[in-house]
Amino acid sequence: MSSKVLAFINFKGGVGKTATVVNIGATLVKLHAKRVLIVDLDPQSNASVWLMRPDRWREHVANGRRSTFQIFDDALRGKSRFDFGETVVKGVVTWTGFVDLPRLHLLPAAIELLKVEDRIHELRAPDIYEILDTVLADQFKEYDYVFLDCPPNLYSTTKTAIFSADSCIVPFLPDYLSLSGFQVLAEQIGEMREKFAPYLPARRKPNIGGVIISHYRQTGNVFRLAINELELSIAQLQERGFLSDKMTVFQPYIRHCVRVAESTSEHLPVILYAPGSIGAQDYADLAQRFLDNFEGKK
Amino acid sequence: MNYTELAAQLTELGERLSRQAHKLEGDALGKSARQLVASVARFEEKLESYIASRKSGELLLELLLRSPSSRKHLTVPLLKRGLKEVAGKRLKAEDLAAAKREFVELVHTAGKQDAATEFLTKAFAEAVHVESGSHEKASLQREFIQFGQLLDDEFAKVIGSRTIGELRRVADVNGIRFTDKTNKERLAALIRRYAQRAAVNIRAVND
Repeated sequence: MSSKVLAFINFKGGVGKTATVVNIGATLVKLHAKRVLIVDLDPQSNASVWLMRPDRWREHVANGRRSTFQIFDDALRGKSRFDFGETVVKGVVTWTGFVDLPRLHLLPAAIELLKVEDRIHELRAPDIYEILDTVLADQFKEYDYVFLDCPPNLYSTTKTAIFSADSCIVPFLPDYLSLSGFQVLAEQIGEMREKFAPYLPARRKPNIGGVIISHYRQTGNVFRLAINELELSIAQLQERGFLSDKMTVFQPYIRHCVRVAESTSEHLPVILYAPGSIGAQDYADLAQRFLDNFEGKK
Repeated sequence: MNYTELAAQLTELGERLSRQAHKLEGDALGKSARQLVASVARFEEKLESYIASRKSGELLLELLLRSPSSRKHLTVPLLKRGLKEVAGKRLKAEDLAAAKREFVELVHTAGKQDAATEFLTKAFAEAVHVESGSHEKASLQREFIQFGQLLDDEFAKVIGSRTIGELRRVADVNGIRFTDKTNKERLAALIRRYAQRAAVNIRAVND
């Protein structure tokens, strides 16, 4: 199976990164029968506790054992305790107590991931970058899409994700603070492209494949102007060679939707919790654009 | 619980029951067994219906018709076109809910579930399709940034030579809202204000 590995990154928090990962992933499974793996790399474990009830998540990842932390801990200790089959969570449990979306798989995160950054410097490049790829590359092949949900920073864990990914997706809040962060991100990924080049196959180069606008509101000028400034910035970054000409600002923009926020407390993606909401509609359209973009149906 | 676990539980129960069957007796157990039989029968019915609708493509069609994409993009004219295309039939209903029901019934009768699913999937995908930015858009965005970099007198001179139609196109492409009543002077002021902002923000970001 030919899989597409996408790292969802932005070192600014609160931009809708996890919401994008969870809801596009669930929509691709539900409406397009895709097999999707979400790899939660954020110590905050937001994707994990969105898709799992907190009691079940705590029990599952106790001591970081059945979580993505184990991958990094193994690399640091020179062991191989991580077991994909034991760690992966298949589907989401609905109010019936039974599993739905059986093709949506999750490698949950654990708070122990916080410890990784303190110790990861004990390893040397390229060992650091290759951690995820070494352990998970074979598993990735079993999926149509693998979404790497990164923490809101550009430290080592995120770099391992960028190294493993075919492309990076940047969730973006239409405001100046996000805009200023976006350019830094583009430059940093440009630097990684050079740094990783000796260790990656020629066809795989770290790049920003697309931007997803979230929390969009149609009232007034505010968001339209901010998105215009993003487009102007992208054009300049493309001229300077930091971004590919193929980079996409995905449409539709994801409108602010209270049902999406509510769905986190129900531990369900919005397509299961409120399929009639504007949030579910926007993610359904966005998932279609994802397919058009990544499966060449443009 | 997932369905694999349920299957394992039922298998284990079946084996245990089989081993102990000749020793079981009493009202309490009998009453509980009767309830279980009724539940199992209901579950079997649902399961068979699910498997059959999945096999015939009906499940996928109904999923599509109830999907968020349907709520956003499905219309009576689309259903009419779809039915004519996949089954060569005419849809009579004019109300969306009734049209959906009629569509499913006629597609079912014609055995064209797969074709109908394909038609709707394609139609929803086309509804989402967005044209990529044109050359004109890129050029108007470049012009907008340049407006923000001009000195006041240079801007006044450049704007003076533009028609209100041209300014409207610049404003529209660059996210500035205006109405039919917005005059040239006001439009120029809005463009100036936001072009200067964009020039500062983009320069600050990209330098």
